[in-house]
Amino acid sequence: MQVQLGIGAIIGALFLILYAIPYWVSSPSNVRNIVLSPLFWPYILGGLTALIGLALVLTGRQRLGGGDPVNEPIDDPRQGMMRLAAMAVLMMATFWVMPWLGMVWTSMLAFVALAFLVKTRHPATAFICAIVVPLVLYAFFAHVASVAIPQGELVRLP
Amino acid sequence: MSLIDSVMAGLALVGNWEAFLSLAIGVVIGVVGGAIPGISATMAVALALPFTFPMQPINGILLLLGVYKGGIFGGSIPAILIKTPGTPASSATILDGHPMAERGEAGRALGMALWASCTADFVSNLALIFFAGFLASFALSFGPPEFFALILFSLTIIAGVSGESLLRGALSALLGLLLATIGLDLVYGTNRFTFGDPNLMGGLNFIAVLIGLFAIPEVINMVWHPTGHMGKVQKLGSKWVTFAEYKRCFRSIIRGSFIGVFLGSIPGIGAAPAAFLSYSEARRKSPNKANFGKGEIEGVAASEAGNNGVAGATLIPLLALGVPGDVITAIIIGAFMVHGLQPGPMMFVLNVDIIYGLFIGLILSSGILFVVGGLAIRGFRPVADIPKRILMPMVLVLCIYGVFAVNNNIFDVGVMFVMGWVGFVMSRYHIPAAPFLIAFILGPLLEDNFRQSMLMSGGSPDILLRGPITWFFWTLTVIAIVAITRGTMRAAQSEG
Repeated sequence: MQVQLGIGAIIGALFLILYAIPYWVSSPSNVRNIVLSPLFWPYILGGLTALIGLALVLTGRQRLGGGDPVNEPIDDPRQGMMRLAAMAVLMMATFWVMPWLGMVWTSMLAFVALAFLVKTRHPATAFICAIVVPLVLYAFFAHVASVAIPQGELVRLP
Repeated sequence: MSLIDSVMAGLALVGNWEAFLSLAIGVVIGVVGGAIPGISATMAVALALPFTFPMQPINGILLLLGVYKGGIFGGSIPAILIKTPGTPASSATILDGHPMAERGEAGRALGMALWASCTADFVSNLALIFFAGFLASFALSFGPPEFFALILFSLTIIAGVSGESLLRGALSALLGLLLATIGLDLVYGTNRFTFGDPNLMGGLNFIAVLIGLFAIPEVINMVWHPTGHMGKVQKLGSKWVTFAEYKRCFRSIIRGSFIGVFLGSIPGIGAAPAAFLSYSEARRKSPNKANFGKGEIEGVAASEAGNNGVAGATLIPLLALGVPGDVITAIIIGAFMVHGLQPGPMMFVLNVDIIYGLFIGLILSSGILFVVGGLAIRGFRPVADIPKRILMPMVLVLCIYGVFAVNNNIFDVGVMFVMGWVGFVMSRYHIPAAPFLIAFILGPLLEDNFRQSMLMSGGSPDILLRGPITWFFWTLTVIAIVAITRGTMRAAQSEG
């Protein structure tokens, strides 16, 4: 695992140094001293990331066959991955739907979907909480904290 | 302003029901949050943060400090009753607390945990009051090179001791520093990784990043392993801790409190090492050392004193230097910023009323913790029975509202989701999240102080070693790197 991590860090650092920093960080042409340039700090961090990645690979190779921390195993890794994928979809849907549906209704749907995803044994309680929690939070943030909670284009709350 | 004037100004701020109630509510939230495995004190503080936005700054910060202190104690309740630490700092409490619970003495163990926690918390608060002002007045003479060396030292310690290896901690800190470069350049105002998106020009929202890193991964973990939290709750039993037992353990409690204060005041070390060190010292010195690990009440007292001794002391670097001592104080620094306050030496000059108000509130918090903790011990069963698979969807919804409320921006919700996945992947690869967050906060300060130093010296790096203070921090940094590397190599050799 440590070797994978190290390789990932090296690839990330190379991407930063060779592509991301030159293309996505702009610097004025009249910078007199390199250490004052907006490019300097990202390059230093990129270089250090590559060095740490290298050290991770080297120490990881010495420790192959033992010493790496182990994650807690689960009974159904395949289904676990499916649930993770569903969670990613749920988050994306929440983000994209919120401006149109409003935060309250989106939260209600997200609550129900997540409770279903984690296989709740209390569906009735989950359903009630899915309605009550977003409404209570709406009341607090909209009417106490004066936050303009997105209402969406369908149903508007007072 | 004289000391009396400062105390009076502080009293004027917190001598009202709102402040007292904020603190008490904070302690209740913290104890309950800490007592629920998977919520943790860190997540409780992060989730409570958005609710402080409409409050007066002092009340909001007191509420968060209450959550912090309550959360650290609350973590001991599931540690003793279900052998699952509510916070990482409570891991040492399991060693003797759970065997006591299995013997039907959970009430006694929890009672001692509460007494030790409150005593250590009080000692820690006194240490904060005595040392923070002194340190702040010393730090007033710091310039950019001194701050650069101090922040670098803090990041080194945080990266070195937060996780299982220095390299993973360093990688985490570097990722945090890289993320902090997003936005407009501090000096020239040019774009850095903004992709032309105005949402990114001000940098990533700190609260979205922290909630994403510390709350969302718990939700994702629950999705990955929905039944991983199941545990059997032990009964409290009829035995309760006595004053004679408290007296017998008092030396260990005071020793543990001072260990907590010492380790807590060094940025980055945190409560868990303090708890384990206090526990091992108590075992070494105790006449009952043979009983440690089998249900010795002194073991519970020592570990709880160690982890609660940290709670006030972590505020010393936060208030005096503006450097968060651990993840929770890193979140609390966010509350200061949201309310337009900048912790650091200048706060002791410009906002002395808030400083003294906080001191008074913290002293009160030890008493409130004693009352709330006592009630929480008896009322734990309903808390333990809250179905976690209902709780996590609630956490998700709370996060969405809380993060949106900071800037009224849905983009921040997206940042939080992305950071949630980053946090989840980091936890799978055993990369500690604490250095990431603290580096993200300190990153702009580190770079700013570096560039100011370079501007002052015309680009000469000699300025970074300009006086005894910078030399002191550079020496500490080198010592820390050598010590952590040697420790890691020794551990690897003993494993091999």
